Amino acid sequence: MNCDDLRDHYELYTLGIAEDPELSEIRAHLERACSTCVPGVRDARELIALIGATAPAAEPPARLRKRVLAAVGGQPASIWNWSPVWAAVAAGALIAAVVFNIRAHRAFAELAQAGAELTQVQAESAAQNTELARLNQAFAILNQPDVKQVVFGGGTPQPPRGRVFLDPKRGVLLLASNLPPAPSGKIYEMWVIPKAGKPVPAGLFQSAADGTAIHVLAGSVDVAGTAAVAVTVEVAAGAQVPNLPPVFAAAL
Amino acid sequence: MLLPLLLAVEFGESDADLVRRLQRRDPRAMAELYDRYGRLVYALILRVVRDGGIAEDLVQETFLRVWNRVQGFDADRGGLAPWLLAVARNRAIDYLRSAAGRMRNAVELPETEHPALFADMEKELLNSDRVRRVREALEKLSQNHRAVIELAYFEGLSQAEMAERMGEPLGTVKTWVRTALKSLRDELGTAATA
Repeated sequence: MNCDDLRDHYELYTLGIAEDPELSEIRAHLERACSTCVPGVRDARELIALIGATAPAAEPPARLRKRVLAAVGGQPASIWNWSPVWAAVAAGALIAAVVFNIRAHRAFAELAQAGAELTQVQAESAAQNTELARLNQAFAILNQPDVKQVVFGGGTPQPPRGRVFLDPKRGVLLLASNLPPAPSGKIYEMWVIPKAGKPVPAGLFQSAADGTAIHVLAGSVDVAGTAAVAVTVEVAAGAQVPNLPPVFAAAL
Repeated sequence: MLLPLLLAVEFGESDADLVRRLQRRDPRAMAELYDRYGRLVYALILRVVRDGGIAEDLVQETFLRVWNRVQGFDADRGGLAPWLLAVARNRAIDYLRSAAGRMRNAVELPETEHPALFADMEKELLNSDRVRRVREALEKLSQNHRAVIELAYFEGLSQAEMAERMGEPLGTVKTWVRTALKSLRDELGTAATA
């Protein structure tokens, strides 16, 4: 099939609605960097992007900015970012302060204080690294083309809603909203419920103050043998079997 | 007409700088990205899913995905806004398909949003003048032609799904889609040279 035959299908391809045989032909032409089809598809992408920009204007809620920035480890209203570099800078400053105070004959008290603050900085840095690792696990699951996705809670105004992604090699990712933080002394526990057998504990998590939650169960999962993914409220230490009815369940 | 052009040039340059800062993992660059395009992304996703809460989740997911994939984006040649809109649309359409239990279309969505695909786009692509012209071109289409464009773009329906939804033969719908897209292409080409 020559490029002239494909010209009218560039936008269909970009929209995701091209069909064979033109679809396979366009892919083949793009793969070999066809000098007609590559700019043709690029022009089509421009046209399709412009259609997207015609959506009626809408103002996102202010909290959304905070959510987006918090998710990438940024602090929306502050230039301070407790990355390891900043932690090191802060630690250096604390040590300098301690040395100065030793000379001022207040060594022991200040050293103890500096040590406590340094521990706190290191804890914050470690927590951030843990969070980053969790997000990386989440991305790894999201980025799999064959990941199975299940929506729960759609169409209901108040109860928790969100999505569960299951990747056979990387595990289970839960994204939820409208999920208020579990009461004091309690925690959320995720369960992978097989088609045959008992629910399997899949990790503990707490939702954020705004009701959003991200939880990852890393590792392989038998997607075909899974009937549902559910969440219950349990005691803070977690449980080996669910003790209460699920707060929500996403059936596969 | 000079002002939009100046704004576009200014935007293009700062987009490239912004991408470089995102690639250096500067969280403040993400704040700027959101401030620049957050409304556009939210408006598009809300138009698709028609639910504010779900739109918020998907906006967050969109920016996370961009943050995660920006290393593959060519800061000097890439069209940042078109890429962001493609990622946003894909997240929203993916949600609709999952919620409705629909099959994926012939072209997998990730195939349409790889950052390398957005190289060499016009830097001023999404300026207000261009968007206005597209909006006018859409309004000039017949009702059926406009409907198929909206069903394809904002609802992610395949041509067979559109035919079923509209109660029309598949061949008729395919003709409408191709005619509508050609009209838009011709209209924008004419407007660009007018």
